[in-house]
Amino acid sequence: FQTTMDVAAEDSDQMPSGFHAKAAAKAARLRREAAKLASASALESPGGIESRPGEWAPTQSKLLRRVAVAARPGHFELSLQYGPYSVAYDTTGRLLALCGRGGHVAAFEWRQKRLMFESQVNEPCHALTWVGAGSTPQLAVAHSNWTYIYDAQGLELHCLKRLHKANKLFWLPRHWLLAACTDTGHLHWQDVSTGQTVASYCGHHGPLRVSALHPDSGCVLTGQPNGQLCIWTPLEKRPVVKMLCCPAGVRAVATAPAGHAVYTLGGDSRLRVWDIRCLRPLSVSDSGADAASIRLFDAAPQLAVSQRGLLACPVRQGAALMVLPAGGAKPLLSHPSPGRLSDLAFCPWEDVLAFGHARGLGSVLVPGSGEPNPDGAVHPLSGKRQRREAEVRGLLDKLPPETIAPPAVGGGVNAVDAEGIEEALARKRAAVMALPSDEVRQFQPRRRSGKASGELNRKVGERWQRRRMELRQLLKSKKRVLAEMGDEGADAAGGRKTKKAKKVSQSGELTKPATGTFLDRLIPKAD
Amino acid sequence: MKVKLLLRNPQDYLRETADDIHKLARNPAPELHPMSAETEYVRALNAAKLERVFAKPFLGCFGDQGDQLSRVCMHPRALSLCLSGCVDGRVAFWNIPRRSRVLQLDAHSGCVQGLCWHPEQDLFYSCCDTDRTLKAWRVGDDLVEFSRPVSQRHLDFAPLNLDHHVSKDLFALSGDAVYLYDSRRSDPVGQWKWGSDSVLQARFNPTEWHLLAAVTKDNALLLIDTRQREPLRRIRCEFRQNALCWNPQEPFVLATASDDYNLYSWDARRLASPACVYRGHTNAAMDVDFAPTGRELVSASYDCTVRLWESGRSQSRDVYHTKRMYRVFAARYSLDARFIVTASADFNLRLWKARASEKLGALTPRERAAVNTAEALKQKYAHHPQVRRIVQHRHLPKRLYQAQLEMKAIRGKQRRKEVNRREHRGEDKEPFVPERDRHVRGVDE
Repeated sequence: FQTTMDVAAEDSDQMPSGFHAKAAAKAARLRREAAKLASASALESPGGIESRPGEWAPTQSKLLRRVAVAARPGHFELSLQYGPYSVAYDTTGRLLALCGRGGHVAAFEWRQKRLMFESQVNEPCHALTWVGAGSTPQLAVAHSNWTYIYDAQGLELHCLKRLHKANKLFWLPRHWLLAACTDTGHLHWQDVSTGQTVASYCGHHGPLRVSALHPDSGCVLTGQPNGQLCIWTPLEKRPVVKMLCCPAGVRAVATAPAGHAVYTLGGDSRLRVWDIRCLRPLSVSDSGADAASIRLFDAAPQLAVSQRGLLACPVRQGAALMVLPAGGAKPLLSHPSPGRLSDLAFCPWEDVLAFGHARGLGSVLVPGSGEPNPDGAVHPLSGKRQRREAEVRGLLDKLPPETIAPPAVGGGVNAVDAEGIEEALARKRAAVMALPSDEVRQFQPRRRSGKASGELNRKVGERWQRRRMELRQLLKSKKRVLAEMGDEGADAAGGRKTKKAKKVSQSGELTKPATGTFLDRLIPKAD
Repeated sequence: MKVKLLLRNPQDYLRETADDIHKLARNPAPELHPMSAETEYVRALNAAKLERVFAKPFLGCFGDQGDQLSRVCMHPRALSLCLSGCVDGRVAFWNIPRRSRVLQLDAHSGCVQGLCWHPEQDLFYSCCDTDRTLKAWRVGDDLVEFSRPVSQRHLDFAPLNLDHHVSKDLFALSGDAVYLYDSRRSDPVGQWKWGSDSVLQARFNPTEWHLLAAVTKDNALLLIDTRQREPLRRIRCEFRQNALCWNPQEPFVLATASDDYNLYSWDARRLASPACVYRGHTNAAMDVDFAPTGRELVSASYDCTVRLWESGRSQSRDVYHTKRMYRVFAARYSLDARFIVTASADFNLRLWKARASEKLGALTPRERAAVNTAEALKQKYAHHPQVRRIVQHRHLPKRLYQAQLEMKAIRGKQRRKEVNRREHRGEDKEPFVPERDRHVRGVDE
């Protein structure tokens, strides 16, 4: 977990001051200690392939000969007839669901090959995602017109007519939101726990055919034909961030299940990696060499990223899939596909990759793709009771949709509202520095008439004369202090910028201290 | 080629026997915990809401006494016992957890003005202004013994309140002056007075054995050293102070309940102005008591509410009211600082929780951990507007709410006028006076 400060910690000359450098060093030290603690208590270690130089990427049969028999369920092929298939794993990694353009919808536990349900819905199905928590899994499937939610037995629970012509469905587990991008250019966020539609609007950016979810923040990223990457949140009807990431149109967008990396595949067949926190290119290789992009020839626009940063993409126009290591260009392994590849999905917490193609779906072993040590009850071996409790806790900890914001824009619950503080200070300063109102200065006491009024009028007139002198002095001293405070002070007090003030701010020094009044405390001290 | 595939042994994730707790996988790596600050914030918000859901401070009434209650006195050593004094002269002895009356006796012919326990013996004193007597009663197993006072003393003044020394056999009676009596002597050992008005209450300091504080009817607070003939200091306040209490943990701090709807806490070392002004009541504050921890105060008010305060914070932490509770004249903390007993003009003693959403009874370790976590979360996010709004808000009946708005309007008007006057007359003629300097007329030595 890195803040923007940590990103800059690598370049210490970018630190604004010694205080920031110290804070960044402390944060780095705490991170190292936390990592040490985590590794000390870690139960499992990640997988991987160590190959000798010159060795080819292994085939599945080679891998199967070298791993335990218990790993065999991870490799299977299903020949099915109902069109190109999309696949989706649930968050625990236990269940696998598929939907085909021919109307085939099914879900099964892939380890035991236990079928949960299978049905023919007689409508083309374009996308699917598991919703809900692991104890009561539900499947949301985007049919040609509307989106349907099925339960674990295949019974249709809901028909979401608002999610019309959805081509991609996303599940935000911490917010309990089902997000959808549609062919009509609309974006929807539906709360699955209460049934409330959080946001539903037209993005006015054309059909949103290329989209991905950034899981860490909950934002939806879409790729536009003009090469822009747009970041959408439910509270804004316009993209919060628009970033030019390709010279040609964006063909695919993918994000890792955790972290700040965003992968875009452009029309020029180049894969670029971006840091979503600062919207700048992330160097692809760990060695720090600036490999700005990887050329993926004939790459069909499906990308999948695993928990440990492995990237899977179709090659040879969908005839095979290739897995690239994190930050590398040399493929880790590849596998031919019986049909044209239509979808890829890494299994969370396991070293397994599922792929859907025109003639069915398959699953391959990919050593080193799964995160070995899960946290909590969201992992394949958690029991039913633990999953139920985790679901209840998840509902209690449901985050409001206001927390969905791209990290680049900043904010967050603990962010210091620097602008708000500045505004409040400026208001206070303006109130103190407010010049005595003209009404007060030009006030003329009313003249009395009648007996002994002459004396009274004289006295009152004298008193007000004295008061006017005092106000004039006050006005002068305030103006002097304003001038010395410079442009900022003038702005805060609503006064005009004087040439004198500009000169002072440029030199950065105060030429004359103010009078010994209470206004002195407003003069900024020189460093 | 070396290949390692991630394979988990299910035995590592399953509990061994049915008696074990389920195993929970843990990985503290921050990558697996995105939006942890937001989750914590939501938990803090939920904790604040749940606190309000479970905030049911009223535990029960002690039963109708038949007449207005004037005094409450907690036993100095036993948690579950307290005394109450009535305006018709009856003193009742209560069992607090059962809210039942152990015994009642017709102590005096008039209003019981003072009640206090002996710190060590099973003896308590009561005094009355109508019959001008001070009576000592022994609490024993023999109820017959209980119905007659152990000793009785006739006074030549009308006593208004009574307090016993922390350790010595002395007690202070306040009437037209502050009288110090020794239990072995019939005449007062000392007498202090400043001015001609009567003294409403005198209290001994818990650690300085010679120090007494007293509040008088002519809006003054007196500090008396029993080794000297004249009182040490007199602080002239704007309004009458109805009651006073020393802080048991910080014995140089003193709290008074004033007729100008405020409570004041005073530092005895610097009496020029109060250390803190506690604002919130919409009618005269009748009684004040410190918690045994010294960190909290409870005040009983003529506006039919009881307010709880944190020492040093001028806004009340909580406010207790019921439809049936009328003017509250006395409020006392229990010895464990968990309960409050109030005596009010609707003839009832009431028992309240000091922490409104506290769960009474034994907490399991997990419950305790959950409570502590919730408390820590609320403190961490206390400044966030949504959390603050929920934690601070208390429902008030319409008349109290209107009274509060009225007080706000009055104060707002006063402040506005001051600002205008300062602008027109000048800073030197209308200087800014901080809140705590506005309430003291002067200090006399």
